[in-house]
Order: sequence, then C-alpha cells, then structure tokens
Amino acid sequence: MQEYDIVIGLEVHSELKTNAKVFCSCKNQFGQAPNTNCCPVCVGLPGALPVLNQKAVQLVIKAGLTMGCEINDIAVFERKNYFYPDLAKAYQISQLVRPICLGGEIKLKTRTVRLNRIHLEEDAGKLVHSTAAIGTLIDYNRGGVPLMELVTEPDIRSADEAVEFLTKLRQRLIFAGVAECKMEQGGMRCDVNISVKKKGAKEFGERTEMKNLNSFKSVYRAINYEANRQIEVIENGGKIVQETRKWDDNHGKSISMRKKETSSDYRYFPDPDMLAVEISREDVENLKKELPPMPEELKAKYMEEYGLSEYESDILTKEKELSDYFNKTLEKANNPKEVSNWILTEILSKMKDGSEEIKISPNDLAKIIKLVEKKTVTRTNAKEMLTRVWENGEDIDTLVKEYGGGVDETELKKIVENLIKNNPKAVEDYKTSPTPEKVFRWFIGQVMKETRGKANATKAEEFVKEGLK
Amino acid sequence: MNRTKITIEEVKRLAGLSALEFSEEELENFIPEFENIIALVDEVKNCDVGSQELKYTTHKLSECRPDVAKESLPQEEILLNSPKTKKGAFCVPKMLD
Amino acid sequence: MNIENLSLIDLKNAIQERKLTSLEVTKFFVEKCEKSDLNAVLEVFDDALEKAKEMDEKIENGFKGKLAGVPVIIKDNILYKGKKASCGSRFLENYTAQYNSTVVQKMLDEGAVIIARANMDEFAMGSSTENSYFGITKNALDPTRVPGGSSGGSASAVAGSLAPVALGTDTGGSIRQPSSYNGVVGIKPTYGRVSRFGVVAFASSIEQVGPITKNVKDNAYMLEVLAGHSEHDETSLKEEVPSYLSSIKGDITGLRVGVMKEVEEAVKGLEVEKSYKNALEFLKKNGATLVDVSIKDFKLSLPCYYIIAPAEATSNLGRFDGVKYSRRSAEAKDVDEIYVKSRSEGFGKEVKRRIMLGNFVLSSGYFDAYYNKAKKLQQKLIEEAKEAFSKCDIIVMPTTAGEPFKIGEKTGDPVSMYKEDLFTIMANILGVPAISIPFGKGKSGLPLGIQIVADRLNEGVIYNVADFIEKKGEEDARV
Repeated sequence: MQEYDIVIGLEVHSELKTNAKVFCSCKNQFGQAPNTNCCPVCVGLPGALPVLNQKAVQLVIKAGLTMGCEINDIAVFERKNYFYPDLAKAYQISQLVRPICLGGEIKLKTRTVRLNRIHLEEDAGKLVHSTAAIGTLIDYNRGGVPLMELVTEPDIRSADEAVEFLTKLRQRLIFAGVAECKMEQGGMRCDVNISVKKKGAKEFGERTEMKNLNSFKSVYRAINYEANRQIEVIENGGKIVQETRKWDDNHGKSISMRKKETSSDYRYFPDPDMLAVEISREDVENLKKELPPMPEELKAKYMEEYGLSEYESDILTKEKELSDYFNKTLEKANNPKEVSNWILTEILSKMKDGSEEIKISPNDLAKIIKLVEKKTVTRTNAKEMLTRVWENGEDIDTLVKEYGGGVDETELKKIVENLIKNNPKAVEDYKTSPTPEKVFRWFIGQVMKETRGKANATKAEEFVKEGLK
Repeated sequence: MNRTKITIEEVKRLAGLSALEFSEEELENFIPEFENIIALVDEVKNCDVGSQELKYTTHKLSECRPDVAKESLPQEEILLNSPKTKKGAFCVPKMLD
Repeated sequence: MNIENLSLIDLKNAIQERKLTSLEVTKFFVEKCEKSDLNAVLEVFDDALEKAKEMDEKIENGFKGKLAGVPVIIKDNILYKGKKASCGSRFLENYTAQYNSTVVQKMLDEGAVIIARANMDEFAMGSSTENSYFGITKNALDPTRVPGGSSGGSASAVAGSLAPVALGTDTGGSIRQPSSYNGVVGIKPTYGRVSRFGVVAFASSIEQVGPITKNVKDNAYMLEVLAGHSEHDETSLKEEVPSYLSSIKGDITGLRVGVMKEVEEAVKGLEVEKSYKNALEFLKKNGATLVDVSIKDFKLSLPCYYIIAPAEATSNLGRFDGVKYSRRSAEAKDVDEIYVKSRSEGFGKEVKRRIMLGNFVLSSGYFDAYYNKAKKLQQKLIEEAKEAFSKCDIIVMPTTAGEPFKIGEKTGDPVSMYKEDLFTIMANILGVPAISIPFGKGKSGLPLGIQIVADRLNEGVIYNVADFIEKKGEEDARV
C-alpha cells in the first residue's frame, strides 16, 4: 500500500436548518406521515412554480464564509433533468454555472483541502422499497428540503483525512447554525470519489464513486476497502473502470452498480421559472456579522485568553452545545479554569453515564461554582448539589439552604467533637434524660451557633448522633 | 449550407432522454420531418450574435421569500389524481435499490 | 335586453344594477355553449348555474366586484380547483385541478362565474387547434376553417358568443393568431404582467395568460382583473397595475408609429399586405407620425422560438411521467415502462416532436450551438427592439399572413405550420405586449388582424390605439 497514493474527493450534502422548504412554504420537518408536508410544488403538480426561500441562500453563504469561499454576486438556478420516481418534476433545481460559493478550504492537521464550490439545491423525496406485492412507496415530504452540496478538490489522501475533513465540516455547519447534520436522519450524506496512483505519479488514476454514505464510519471503511480493491486490481494487472459502486455496510464491501454511462446527460439549463439572485456585498457583510466564532477561533481564545490547555480547549470546542454551555456559564461565573474543570469532570462524566443533554442550566452551574469559590459550600457538597439538580431537577436556592454549610465536613466533625468533649454534663443528661431528644436538639443548636447557621444540618445531626453514642 | 443529418441512433438517443417510444415505422417518418425542423433552427446556429455574455434577470436576495412555514395540502388532496396509492404514499411496482 | 349584443362591461353593469341577473346571463351562455357545434368548449361546468345563483344572492347583499356575476370561459390549461384541466391531452384526460391558478382566483374574487373550459392544441403546441386529443375546433366564422391556435377554443367561443370573455395563453401567438382568425380582440401582455401560477407550463420564459374579448374596452377591463404580482410566481412583475381603461382617450395625435423595415419586406405579396398598409395610412391620417424602425433579426425570432420553447417544454413536461397523477399505462410492468408507455400513449404527435426537439437542443454537444446561441440571439433582439422603441411608441404589423386556412390544410407539414407564427412570435421573444384587433377583410370576406406592439408595460398605449382603430377605422379597413 505504501507504494500508492490514494486520491479522494468528497461531495457532501447537508440539509439546511430552515423552517420552510427551499421552493415552497411547506415545513422542513423530519418524521411526518407520508405526503403530509406537501403542496403543488412538492409533488410537481401542473402549473406549480418554485419561489426561493432567502434563508436557504443565506445559510449557504454563511457556510461559505466559514470556509473562506468567494461568494458569487449573482447566483443562478438550473434544472437538472432526469426521470426518477423520487424526483417529482423530473428535474432537480440545482446550480451549475453560477453557484453561491466558489473556492474556499478546510485545513486538516496534515494538509489543506481546497473546496471547488458550495451550491444550493433541493432534496428529493423518499422511496421505501416494500414487498413485491406492495411495491415501492413514494413520500415527497423530503422533496424540496434545502440541501447544500459541497464539492472538494481531490486533495484528500486517506480515510483518516476524509473523516477529519467531515468532522471539521460538520463542526462548522453546526456552529454556524447552517445545518444540524443529523446523520441518522440523512441530514448529512457523502459521496466519495476515489482513485489510486503510484506514489509520486502526476496523473490521477481512473476513479470510482460511492454514493450516499451516511456515517463517518462507513466513509472510513468504504475508502479503505475501495482503495485496497483498486490497488489489488492494478497489482493483478487489471484496470479500474470508471463507475458508481454501492457501499454495502453490512458486508463491508463495495459492489459495482453500473458503468458510468457517458450518456447520463442531465441537460442543465437555467430554470425559466426563477430569477437569478443578486447577492450584494452588504448582504454578505451582514451575514458575516451574524456568524458566531468557529471552533478553531474559540479554541485559540480558550487557550490564549483563558489559559486552558489544548486538551481542555479541544474538548470544549468539539460540540457546539458544549462550547455554548461553557461560554454561557462563564458569563455568570468568571473563572474559566474552574468552569472548564467542572464541565470536563462533572458534566461530561454525567453525560457519559447516558445523559443526552446537559440537565443543569449554565446559570445554576455558575451558582454552584461561586458557592464553592466563596466557600459557602464544600466541593463535596457542591457535587452533591449538582447531582440533585441533574437527577431530580431540584431548586438550587433551596439546596443552598440545606447544604449551605460553608463548613467543611472535617471541620464540622471537629466542632462536634469539641462540643461533646467540653460538655460532659450534657452528654450525661442525654444518656439519662427521659427526653433525650431535647438534649440532642440543644447540641444541634450549639453547632449552628458555632457555625453561624452555615452547617449542613443533616451532617450535623449525623455527627452529633455518632458523638453521643 | 449543409443540412444537419439525423441518424436513427441519434433519434433513439433522444427518445431515451424523452422517455418516449416509437415504432420502426414512426421512426422512419420522423427523421425527414425532424431534419426539416432542424434546418429551421439551424438558422440560429449559423447566425452571428457577436460576443455578448448572457445576462440574467435578477432579484435581490433581500426581496426573496422569507423563511416562514405555512400549512401544506391535506394528504388526500395531494393524492387526488394518483393512479395508485398505498398507505398515504404514491406507489409504483417494486424497484431494485 | 339582448344579452348576446351586450359588451362585457355593459353586462357587468346590468347585473350589478339588477337589470339582469347573473343566472339569466349565465343560463343564456351555458345554453349557447351546449347548443354550439364548434367544439370550442370541452366541458360546461355543471355548477355554473348554481354559482350564478349564489352570485346573485351576494350581489343582492351588497357584493361589488369587477366581474360580479359575469360568465367567463377558461382555456383548458388553466387550473380551476375541482374542475378538470386536460390541456387538450389524452395524458391529462382525467386530471382534476387540486388548486386554483392565480388568474382564476383573481376572477373569482371579483365575482366571475366560470362556466366552461375551452379546447386547445395539446399543451398549447399548435396554431390551429387541430392538435387536441378532443377533436378539432371550428372557426366561428367559417366552420370549414381552423380557428387558429393554440387558444382556438377560447377565440372561437368568444366569436361564437358562447361567453363575453375567454382566457387564452400565448406562447408564440396563441392568443393573437386565433383572435385574428375569429375576428375578435386578444392581447398577450408584457411577460410577467399576469402570473402563470396554476397555468400548465409549456414555455415558461415567454408565455402569458391574456383575455380574448369582442372589443378593446372589454379587453382592457379584463386585463385589469388578471394583471398583478403573485407571491407564488417569482417571474410575475411587482409594478403596480394601472387603469388600462383610463388610458383609452380616443385620440392618437402625436403618436409615433414604428414601421418596421423587416415587416415591410415580409408582408410583400401576402394577403394581408393591403390591410396592413391601410392601417398605417389610417393612423397617419388621424394625427400619428410614421417612423421607420428596424429590428434586424426579426425573422430569426421564429427559429429562436423553436429552440427556446421546445427546450423549456421538454423539461416542463417531464412531470407527466405516470407516477403521481393521471395516466399510467395499463401495459407498464415496471417504473421505466410507466414512464415510456404512459407518455407514448398520452402525448400526441406534435407534443412528442417538440419534446424530441427540446432534448436535441439541450443535449450535450448541441447545447451551446442551439440553446445558448438562441438565448444570446434573444438578448440581441431585445437590444435591437430597445433601439426601435426609443424612436416610436408602437410598432404595427399584421397578426397573420391572411385569412384562416382550411382544416387539414397544413397538418402534414409541421414547418409550414410553425411559420404561421412569424409575425406574432417576436413579441414573445422580446417579452413585450402585443394585441391583435380585427382590421380589414380577406379574399373570402373573413376578418384579418392587425397587431399593435409596444415596449414593456405599455399596454395602456396599446389599448388607446386599438380602441381608436376599432371606433374610427372601420371605413379605412375596407379593402
């Protein structure tokens, strides 16, 4: 394998996060009963016309801005004509000649991957292949959901790089609020173009394409399988044929689908039902202002401004949810190191235990952190408080009253021990009195007096009881 | 000017793209007729239009439809003219993946 | 009151003032439709009288609308919810509209009673209405002749007094040519002036809906109802709709009439030549100035059209695939057969021809030489027209070469049928408005048509001139 270079180009489709579809006002919504999010446009009824959703264009511009793309001043929509049952109009509205974004790049650890373009198009409906008796069922709910298609140059050289690229892309899209990239819902799909060549050779080999891979894992496996297959073919004196291959995730191999017909002629032409879109510099500037910082920027900020380690910063910026959470907590509790510690240890370990979401608000976590800082509660107690908020949704201010010791357990123990040592009469009373409860209460009262009411009452009771045994 | 010739293979290719089928007899009649029409449109192919760039009719991004979702049509209304439906879906004979 | 002889505006007023009821008027026209043997109308809607009754009630209760209670016929490619819209095609034989087109909605909002749908060339492809799956429509003035097309049913219906107004669509002359052949008035508005939403698309970038009426004022009045932006149609224009009626002033003094060099040449030896010259003479006599103008590539607008229109049609008609609605071939065993067999059974010869042509000009290897070239030619023509319209207010030209031809005369020769549209196609390629009004008579005494073409959004100018000719031009029109 080391004598070969693997050359990979990706085409990544991501569903955009809009309320409405791209060419009509039906909801952009997953998981509804078939053909219930449909109108004349979605089903391609006679006389129906597309009307462009500006948000979809704006989101593609935003995506492009996070990757350094050039934004075209005029974007044109074309029809890509072919017959397929999931395509209601027998053409897909897409972009060929003037896409919204051109160029751009994503930097990987090992190299920079250049982008060819990002364009806007519509998703197709969904086919469900049932039994022969029932047939294939067509649901057009997904038809017209806005999709951005990103096309890279063939700059990727390994499965690891491909996954790193996709991870970074996904991160950006989520951070920018462009897409949710829910892989399991088909919210992000990837076509992989792959060829191999002898190391150092200038000419690329013949390539094959694998379509609609919907997890990073299958991208990784598919690339390694296909690269090895191609090398094997060449080593055995064979030739690679340009073709589309289907990745079979269950069996871990790719299967030839059909020769890439030279006759697959999509007859693109500008959609006469649509106007081209003028994108002004002002539009672009305004969208730029709306963009939140990207993970790399945040990471640098965390390290330089907050003095966090690279490891910490990496984890905190991996998911948008987590970095948002970190930032929000920091607004209330201005101690980056502390906040980071709490998130990385307590919050993440709770998430690891199977929690899908963070079940304590940034506000509450900030309160807890400040309580610890002011020594109002002990660290141990604070952790217990966090657990109770997380598990039972208890109110933090009530918990403070309960835990609000500000007295460390060992200190509390010492106070109780001293009390017992210095009051032998009372200890005697407790043991002989017909109402020991009354004496017990007196001790607790003394503890509170001594700690100015800050002792954790439960703990105090526990320790007093023990001391009086 | 030479007339553009159309071969039977060419017509078959176009029929494929058109999702149409013609009998052999229809095809035979079709070719001379089609060549006459091509001769008409060849006047454009052979004319001089200078070196202009294609312009587009445009509208401003800010004038495009705002992202507001509205009610869809009821499912039975969507399926109204369908030749075959099952379980709320349009239905065709089972396809291979 | 003689309903048949009343103009649309008079009918509307009579109904509004309760001198006539919508029911009486609607009944009159419905009966005319049912008795007619023109085959202009494919279906009289069974709820027409009921709707008229409802409208009478509404008017009694104070409803006012520009078309309150007035019967209207629509072309078979315009969607009216719950009614069939077959586009003259076997493919859509049983298609029921699932929503209202913008034009239908606008008319209903103004109180119109839509009584019937008119025959047409299949998918509006044709110039004689001989391409309808539902049979040939006859010319209302001479049943041995074609009514023109593709809005032949609409024009014949108006000429035959089956309704005071009918809607047509015009992609290359499909309103104006049949209007000319039936001696009525038809306009193709500025591209985008009327929304195409809910109108079955043939060639999206050049076609328009327009009214066909017996006189110019009715036409102007109708266009006021139909015109305007629709949120469902990006290509519909946002410019405010003016009052076309009030632009009719009965005076053309100072009007600059463009006389196109290329038309002067093309018209030589045609039946229409004399009446065309008379029209120019008439305008001059009444205070207009004749100005020589030129649109050099005028003649190329015809082949230009036969590239752009089929290209768009090919793509627009892809949705008729047998999967989602209407025809699905009983023979089809798999999806590919559903496509091929449903379409091959469902489409007529001319439609297939144009789909094939469209795929030819769009397919790889030909795209630049044909489609892109045609778009550039269109751009060049627009530039040339801009220059011409900087010198004149209107351009006058014939609508057709002569009287309507005989049924069957041109069916064997598609190219000669295509050339029928030489004078009308330019306005579609340019996107400018053009009207056809009767002017003069041909050899057999049938009416000839004259076209008034103006720059974008100048329908007002057109209506003023057209009305003037209609009122005062009768004497001069006699050849």
